[in-house]
This record gives sequence, C-alpha cells and structure tokens, in this order.
Amino acid sequence: MKIDHFDPPAFNDDLDDDAELKALWSQAMSTKFDVSVHSVQNHLSSHGGGICQFYNPVTAGLSGPDLPLSSGDVPWSGFPKRFLRSGPHGTPGFSDAEPTSLPPDTGRPQDEYLEWHVSRNSDGKIISVEFTCEGYDYYEFLAQNAPAKLVALYQEFIDPSVQREELFSAGTYNRFNRWNIQDGAMHLTNGANNLFAEVFLGASATVRRKNSTGAEITATIPLIKCGQYGDETRNSDPAIGAAVNGLARQGRMITLANPVGLYIASFDGSGFRLPDGSAADGFFQILRGKPGQALRAVYRLPQNLAEAGLTVSDVKISGAPIEFGGQIAQRITMKLTGVASLDQSVHNLPVGCGAVQQVNGAAAQALVAGAIAPVRPPTRNAAK
Amino acid sequence: MSAQPVPPSAAVSGPEPLLDLDEIQGNILAGFSKDYQTLVALKIRDLKAARRWLERILPEINSTAEVLKFNELFRMRRKRLGCDPKGLIATWANIAFSRAGLALLTSAEEADALPDEAFRVGLNDARAAGLGDPVVRGGNDPTKDWVVGGTNRPVDILLIVASDHPRELAAVVKRLRPNAKAGDVKGAPRVVWREDGATRSDLPGHEHFGFKDGVSQPGVRGLRSRQPEIFLTPRLLEPAAAGEVEFSAPGQPLVWPGQFILGYPATDGSSDSGGGPLDPDKDLPDLAKNGSFLVFRRLRQDVAGFRAFLDEQARLVSENPSFPGMTPERLGPLIVGRWPSGAPVARTPTSDLEALAEDDLSNNDFLFTTDTPAPALLPMVPHPQGPFAVAREDSAGFVCPHAAHIRKVNPRDQDSDKGDQFDTLTRRIIRRGIPYGVPLPKSATDDKVDRGLHFLCYQASIVNQFELLQQDWANSTENPKPGGHDLIIGQTGQPSPAGARVLRLINSTGSQAVTSTRQYVIPTGGGYFFAPSLTVLRKLAGLS
Repeated sequence: MKIDHFDPPAFNDDLDDDAELKALWSQAMSTKFDVSVHSVQNHLSSHGGGICQFYNPVTAGLSGPDLPLSSGDVPWSGFPKRFLRSGPHGTPGFSDAEPTSLPPDTGRPQDEYLEWHVSRNSDGKIISVEFTCEGYDYYEFLAQNAPAKLVALYQEFIDPSVQREELFSAGTYNRFNRWNIQDGAMHLTNGANNLFAEVFLGASATVRRKNSTGAEITATIPLIKCGQYGDETRNSDPAIGAAVNGLARQGRMITLANPVGLYIASFDGSGFRLPDGSAADGFFQILRGKPGQALRAVYRLPQNLAEAGLTVSDVKISGAPIEFGGQIAQRITMKLTGVASLDQSVHNLPVGCGAVQQVNGAAAQALVAGAIAPVRPPTRNAAK
Repeated sequence: MSAQPVPPSAAVSGPEPLLDLDEIQGNILAGFSKDYQTLVALKIRDLKAARRWLERILPEINSTAEVLKFNELFRMRRKRLGCDPKGLIATWANIAFSRAGLALLTSAEEADALPDEAFRVGLNDARAAGLGDPVVRGGNDPTKDWVVGGTNRPVDILLIVASDHPRELAAVVKRLRPNAKAGDVKGAPRVVWREDGATRSDLPGHEHFGFKDGVSQPGVRGLRSRQPEIFLTPRLLEPAAAGEVEFSAPGQPLVWPGQFILGYPATDGSSDSGGGPLDPDKDLPDLAKNGSFLVFRRLRQDVAGFRAFLDEQARLVSENPSFPGMTPERLGPLIVGRWPSGAPVARTPTSDLEALAEDDLSNNDFLFTTDTPAPALLPMVPHPQGPFAVAREDSAGFVCPHAAHIRKVNPRDQDSDKGDQFDTLTRRIIRRGIPYGVPLPKSATDDKVDRGLHFLCYQASIVNQFELLQQDWANSTENPKPGGHDLIIGQTGQPSPAGARVLRLINSTGSQAVTSTRQYVIPTGGGYFFAPSLTVLRKLAGLS
C-alpha cells in the first residue's frame, strides 16, 4: 500500500476546513508509524538482524499488490474479556465492567478499545448507552491544535452546555474531565486505548519469535507473552498480534489500513425485543463514522417510545432484561484492518522473547510519550 | 459408526475423572449411532400419571455403559467380518425435559437452579429471535408455525428412541409411549408430536443436501475405568507438548467432560492452563449432576432451492476472472468446507477424494493457520493412511473460506473474536442429528416434500455453546473471522428475500460475493431440554 497522507479516523470531517490541520494529523500518524518502525528495526538489529516487516505507507509505501483487504481484518468482542468468568456457566461480570464511580484521573476498566456510558433516569432505568472507540490521542491532538473543534464535538455529542474550561486543567487537556467520565463518553479513556498503542502493537507483532528450545512460536497467547506487545487478558491485543505475526511468518510486509482506527464493525441486535414482542434491534444508531467503520454509536429508544414511558431497561435480549450497557457491548464486534503485501519475500529468523523497546531520541519520545502528535506553531490561531 | 478399526485405548496417563457411565444417559457420550431414530414429544397432563408412566419406562432408558458396550461389540464383530454384523442390533431410548416439564416434576425453584439461562427461558419466540430464526411476514414470532415446540406447541418431555432396525424401533416406541394397555393411567403424558428419522438409504451418513455429516466430534476426556485405565475416547496420538492442544485422534481435540456433562472438570478457555481442567462448580444442584443440556432443532431443508442457488451463483462467480470455471459441484463444498464425501476442502481443494473421506485418521486432520504436521500416531495404531496431501496454511481463507460452514462453527487453530484455540474448545458441542424425510433424487425438481434434519446436540451450556455458535458465529458476517455468513445455517432473522446472506470467496487475485436471498435450512420446531442422570430420573418418577 502506498498513500500520500493519513486521514482522520473513519474519514471524519473534523479537519475538512483546514488543510494545514489535516496535514498536521497525517504527520502525527506518520510519526507514530516511524517511531514504531524504528523501534522494531532496532530490536531486530540487536537480535541478529532482519528487515522490519512493518512499514509506513506514506513515507515508505509499497507499490506492489496487497492481499484482498478483508483478509487483514481482525475482529474481537467489544465486551472486556477480563470480566468474563471462566467455566461453561461463567456469566459476564456486567456490574464490574461499568462501575458507577471511578477514582479521580482514571479511565474506565473497559479495555477492548470500546467504552460506553450508561445514562439512567431517576428510577435507575437505562435511557441510553453511548459507545465510543475513538483513541484519546486524537482528542489530545485536537486539544492542542483545534480546541474550538474539540469543544464543538463535546457540545454536539455530549451536552450543548460543555465549556472549554471544563475540559482543560492548568491549560492541558484532561481526558478524565467530567464530560468524558461521569457525564458522558466522548472518547476512550483507558490508558491503553489509543492509536499509538495500536500502531506500536501492529509493528511489534511483526517480529517473529522463538521459544527457549528454538522453535518458532505461533500460538496466540505464547506469542503475546513472548513479544510483550499487549495485554494477554484481552480479546483484542492477542488476536491482533497473532494475526499480524501470522502474516509476518508468511513473509509479507504489513501496515495498517488508512484511516487508521479501531472501529465498531457490527452490532447484532437479534433477539432484542420490546415488551409487546416487537423487534428492538433497530435502535442502535451510528453517530460518527459509517457502518463497518463506526466511531460512535448509541442504543436508545425513539422519541415516541420514550414518550410512552418505555426505557432501554424495558428491552429484553432473548428474554433477559437489559440491566447493564455491557449486555449491549457483548453484541458489538470491533475490528482493525491490516494490509499485507501479496509478496512473501521477507524471511526473518525468529528471535527470542522480550518487548520491542520504543526508540530513544528526544524528538520521538516527545511526540509519542507526550502529545503523540506535532503541535501547530503558535503563530496561528489554534483556537479558531 | 466409524469404519476405521481402532485399538480400544492407548495407555496414556492423565488426571482425568472417572465418568459415572451407569448414570449418564447413553446418547450423550457414547452416541446411539443408529440408522433409525424416532423423536416423541410429550405434554404432561397429570403429575401423578406422569410419574407412573416415567416409572414404567425407567428400565428402558439406557445408560452410557450399556451403549458403549454394544458399540464396542459391534465394532469388534465388524472388524472380524469386514462388514456390518447382520442381526446384531440394539434399540435404545433416552429422555429429556424442558424447563416447564422439569418444573412440574420438581419445582420452579429446582428447575431454575440449573445453570443455564437459555434453558430457563426455553426456546420460545424471544430466544428463537435471538438465534436469528426468520419471522413469519407481518409477525414477531419465529416459532408461530413450528410443528413442535415454540409458542403454540410447547413440549415438556422429549423421548429419543433409536434402533438398527425399523421394526424394532416401532415396537419400542409403541411400548414406551403412554398407553393404557401397558398400564398407564388416564392422564398420562400426551404425545403432541412424533417423527421418524433415518439415515439416508442412498447415501448413509449424508444430510439431504448430499454432504457427509457428523465427521468432526470432540474427543471427550475421562475414564471408563481406573484399573485398568481405559479412556472413554481412545488415544491414538502421542501426548501433546505442554501448552498445546491435545488430540485423541488426528483432528479430534480432547475436551474435558464438564463441557458436556455437569459436575465434571471443564475445559479452561485460557491457554495458560493448557485448556484446563477447571474444577467443577461446587454449587451445582444434585439435579444437575451427570446431566446434560440438549438442544433439539427441527430443520427443514429446501434441497431443490439449494441446488438452484448453487447453479445460479456458480454461474455468477465463474464470470469473475479470479474464479474461472466455477461450478455448482465446486461451490457447494466451498460453502460447506467439505466435499460431499466428507473429504475436507482444506486437504483436497479442487476435487472430491473418496479415499480421503473414508480414512478416519485423515478426514478430520487439518488446521487452518499453519501447515498441518503429520500426526504422531502411537506405535500400536494401524496406519493405513493414504498418500493424501496435507492441509496447507490458509489463514486468509483462500482454500477454505472463513465463512465455510465447518470453519464457522469450528475455527480450529484460528483465533476467533472470543479468543484463541483453547476458547474454541469450550464452544464445542456433541452432535447427534439424523435426517428425516425421503431424499430428493439428484435430478428431480422440487417435490415440496418436507425433509431435513433432526438436529440434536449436547452441551453443558446452551448459552455459551450452541447459542454462541449459531448467533455469534454462523449468523455473523464478521465472526469468528470476517468473510460473511454461514450460508448453510446462518440466519438474519428476516423472512426471505429481505434477509440476504453473503459469503465472500477470496483468493490472491480478487474476491467475489456469493449471495443467498433465501434460507435453505429453515427451523420448523425445537426446544431446549435437560437430560438428567438415571438417579434423577428415578426421583422424577417419585422413587427414592
């Protein structure tokens, strides 16, 4: 794949009226790729060499043909695996997955790149459940480069009364602000739920691994334990890593599809029913993004039903009433799309275990550990 | 029954539980494996009369120990004779109860203490909608027109009677069904439905679309005896390395018995433990122990429609330069994942191979994400395996599409949206289905005859096993891997033609959608049941 720029997630139009800002976002994404590629290359160099099989499609795009796009799709369940209980009769820990309060400055425990906020009425009945899968680094980028747009998004999707100062503390964007935790979910908050993590995971997983006996590791959990590129207790990280590593073992060059994002791929509303038996599967609406590539969605009843006194809590799923947002999250499939070359000519030797270390270098560190994105020079009015 | 002679057991030791084979009903772990099977659905009318009827038929309900012994004898005789032993026949019966039936015979509290929400709710209109069963146009109830079960034809008891001979079967069914001549009192359970099933006389072991069915079953761990140590599932392979999935036979992974029988160690979906075992649930009620949940689905098959669909879609697919020369004979196996003989597409991608299908050590031996290694058979295992090509790495689904039926419901070594191959082991079910209705001859036009499959499967959790396979995988375009719907059993909940389903064929040069605007497998009945232990059956009959 060879492209000339990175687009914002799901081709959203947030940056459409500012070409410079769009370019800045592309540069930010490109930096994430470059840091990841250099980190993997360093890792390989210090372990006997090899060609980094992850590439930046903007700065080092490949013009050869790729595998059909769907063969790089990696799906996973949106409900966190850590809250599933083992055993044939294990029921999900729905209440644990959505605590009613969180300690200050912490994100939600929902760690499958899908988080949700449940709105209840004074009777405790669920009015709506809003889902987001947008990385917080995109919003940090907006906060630094287009704060007015940031505020506008909060006002559009969370509450018209949101004020800019409520989103910032001491001049820095606070992703744990009340409108993103207690009163809504504008974007992901869990520490691991960001786009750089996605890119770095994809890159790290291209490293072929061997165990202590020298045999190449191919199984999903041993791979993530060896490569340490993510959290093995999730649905997502092990699945992404194993899929990428499988492509790498086939000798392919790998990158992520543009626009890079972790998306809501589908929602399965079969068995959702209103008290009168009619179907309630059509009340899941995409608010940002598009089908197959959704960034934000809500499950809520249409106005006429709400005015008739019905709530989401009155909906049953295959006969069981909805008591938690997690019951709906269980019906959401998430997706990441990788791109792999048809060419299979890279044959690295597997290396031993150990995490790929992020490259040193002040510039890269500043970009990744801090803002994760370049900041527009202050000469322009960033707050326009 | 298997045509492959195998040794009774290999001496592989392991901390496996002793199975209470005198308590567990025989169809669950041993399998009746009969050519003729009748299902009888009953409604309880009077509790006392129901208990008396149950008491009368109790001695006829067969245990795993009985069925295993016969199956073993049958196999021994066939091995010596080289063909099925004529005259060596058996007729078996098993019984299961819906939540409503069990609540009547115990109490609502006891029935609801069984650990499965799907069983408690029952296969009603809401649950069927969750499975994606198509609604009748203009209504909300997919079960409205079912011939058995659902909203209008509820069932309390399901009796399964199977035999090697139809006359014997009819005699036993007559003997078991409530009737005054046998001493049943007025008010004994009423037969609300019965139907005969039979293996196809023209193609034994094949379902009505013409494909071999039931090739792949999990290998259930557990011991028949401690001294000497005899495994329920014979071990034909060297033990697996630590951390790898262990197989009893090529392509048959070992699963802990708690995935099928309540009260035993179950498979851990985590690879950290090498798949388990997990300790049995300490809080299980006595009612549950040595029992299993049974799913029954009466699935009508539109054979003529399926054939016409293959003809039409093969023509469309063949117009795509990436899939030249596509024929219905080739497209069908791509949708199923096996050729009509049962030979896996993964091992023979371009043509059917009867010899491969007949070799039980080879016909299920394939992985998807890596070149399948040669099986490490134990030294005493005869190895008549032919020179069959091994299955090559097919992570992308170029050879066997991701949405092929057998890949959908058992992704083997490929990760799913739920986890890795160890998680997939926890989704396995034991299938005991049999066709009903006469086959439609190959060249015949639609005769409108009702034919299909009595789908029966056993598991420890209907929610996490059968329902997950149907709803989360077969009905999904994304899961367990993106590639479209399972065009055999996948459903959209919509009546035809609104509920179009799509399977995507891909290869290195392109992709092509195979689109089905109708369902060719249509649920027309069913229910969720519990098959209790023989001790519990005695209690249900009012005996101590």
